Amino acid sequence: MIWRLLRKNISVAQIGGYALANLVGLCIIVCAVQFYRDASSALRGEDSTVPADFLVISKQVSMLNTLGLGNPSTSFTRDDIDNLEKQPWVKAVGEFTNANFGVAAAVEMDGRGMSTYLFLESIPDQFLDIIPDDWDFDPNNPNATVPIIISKDYLALYNFGFAASRGLPQFSEGLISRVPIALYLSGNGRRETFKAHIAGFSNRFNTIAVPYSFMEWANKRFSSQPDAEPSRLVVQLSDPGNPEIDKYMSANGYEAAGEGLDQGKAHYFLTLLTTIVSVIGGIICALALFILMLSITLLMQRNREKNRTLLLLGYSPGQIIGCYFRLVAIVNGVILGCAIACLFIAKGYWQKTLSEAGISSASPLAPILWATGIIAVVTAINYLTIRRHLK
Amino acid sequence: MQIESITLRDVLPDVFRAEPPSGSQVWLTQITFRRGQNYLVEAASGTGKSSLCSYLYGWRTDYQGEITFNSTNIRKLSVSDWVDIRRRHLAYLPQEMAIFPELTALENIQIKNRLTNCCTEAQIMDMLKLFDISNKANVPAAKLSIGQQQRVAIIRALCQPFDFILLDEPVSHLDADNNRIAADLILSHAQRQGAGVIATSVGNPLMLPTDTTRISL
Repeated sequence: MIWRLLRKNISVAQIGGYALANLVGLCIIVCAVQFYRDASSALRGEDSTVPADFLVISKQVSMLNTLGLGNPSTSFTRDDIDNLEKQPWVKAVGEFTNANFGVAAAVEMDGRGMSTYLFLESIPDQFLDIIPDDWDFDPNNPNATVPIIISKDYLALYNFGFAASRGLPQFSEGLISRVPIALYLSGNGRRETFKAHIAGFSNRFNTIAVPYSFMEWANKRFSSQPDAEPSRLVVQLSDPGNPEIDKYMSANGYEAAGEGLDQGKAHYFLTLLTTIVSVIGGIICALALFILMLSITLLMQRNREKNRTLLLLGYSPGQIIGCYFRLVAIVNGVILGCAIACLFIAKGYWQKTLSEAGISSASPLAPILWATGIIAVVTAINYLTIRRHLK
Repeated sequence: MQIESITLRDVLPDVFRAEPPSGSQVWLTQITFRRGQNYLVEAASGTGKSSLCSYLYGWRTDYQGEITFNSTNIRKLSVSDWVDIRRRHLAYLPQEMAIFPELTALENIQIKNRLTNCCTEAQIMDMLKLFDISNKANVPAAKLSIGQQQRVAIIRALCQPFDFILLDEPVSHLDADNNRIAADLILSHAQRQGAGVIATSVGNPLMLPTDTTRISL
């Protein structure tokens, strides 16, 4: 009966306008949050269970370096590495170990021999994107072969650049792994031959890598010099989107390569875009909230006499507040329900595209929690407004 | 808390502070209303009788001095105390009646009764019959005459237990017959509960019994 009395002055247009505006704002926010989560899981790569981002850095090569006036040197000193490790966006730093001896490789194929000078590097295992089964070398085993990881790009260069123009056969990854390679190592007055094979292909590193155990042994055997300082470092990033990375690189004259930085930039722009869109959604929600506050104020003003009479008859302020609050709570509940429904519909649209691209979708729990939180805050503000007017 | 007595000590409405009235038996003196007794407050208009009712009902506090229920200063009562008092200890018929025009006569009574569950619908209909307006029970109050509205408001005031009933010019729009019916009904409810009656009048007083204490404002 009280509700019948108090609802007379409710403006359906105002409440409807509020509901629509708040729904639009809320939908924008939940869709932005969901899209951010879906897209950022995609940017972390297919292997999203190990969300690691890597950067290979080196120093810029200047004219002085070319002329052999190696100062500043292009290798990293101990201080450089320590400083890098202290950066907040760095999770781990690994050093490339260079071979301090001469390397040549020969391949026998189709009756034609092919040999070339090479370089070898080794990278700590924890930074490798693939670790082949036989990724080890035992110098005491006379039949041991040296496993080599090369960049996938090299195979592509050979297949589509070199082989195609020279009339040589193209190779698949599987086939090329079975091609025997002879490695000629020389230095320190020795010259020896080793059997080697391609054990895997890396997306992450632009290099020819051998196991560290082999490199350590070979450096001792074929080189009299102490280990040189590394000229390249691999950095595992804890925060790939951090804009500080770029600044640090240019401030120190470092150059970055690898999968980390571009994804990091994409991630950064995604975050920026999501933030902008969410803020717009938030502003719409805030404006909607003002509409509702105005509407409540107007309703309470129009119902002033009725509210007073009810208090005069012995109704408690709580009973009267409850009446108005139920209205607000029901409207907000409906808005929340519609926003969540809208989220699932929108997610359905882009999920199809994403799953065709082989990207799995993130759980919708976070945007639902966001929406619920926003509605809870709005409802609490409404409650306080109603209470203030009844005082 | 059952209200046994209501005492006013040196009470003066703020509006009278510039020119305090002389010879009043209520303002700037001490007066006690006791449960079980009837009081008729007579006054010319503009002497503050509606103010008195509003102060006693906790509706307004624009006065100086002290009003106590038993020995409790009513300024110290909380909102929830007043809610309880208005449901169970103090009945009030304001001069402006506070009827909702969009509700029917019966609904206007029930909106109070559903708070107190004091009367059955049959009892309410009996009282409407007594006032000869039972045929108006389902008519919106806006379509009732002022006199009919006043009778509805009297019935509504009786739909609760009370220690005192405050009636601000309860029969100003009623004829002598209805005045007598109203007085009988109010007194029967008050006597059954051992309650006190405080009625005001500017010329057409509620027909209270001869032992009623008459107070001039």
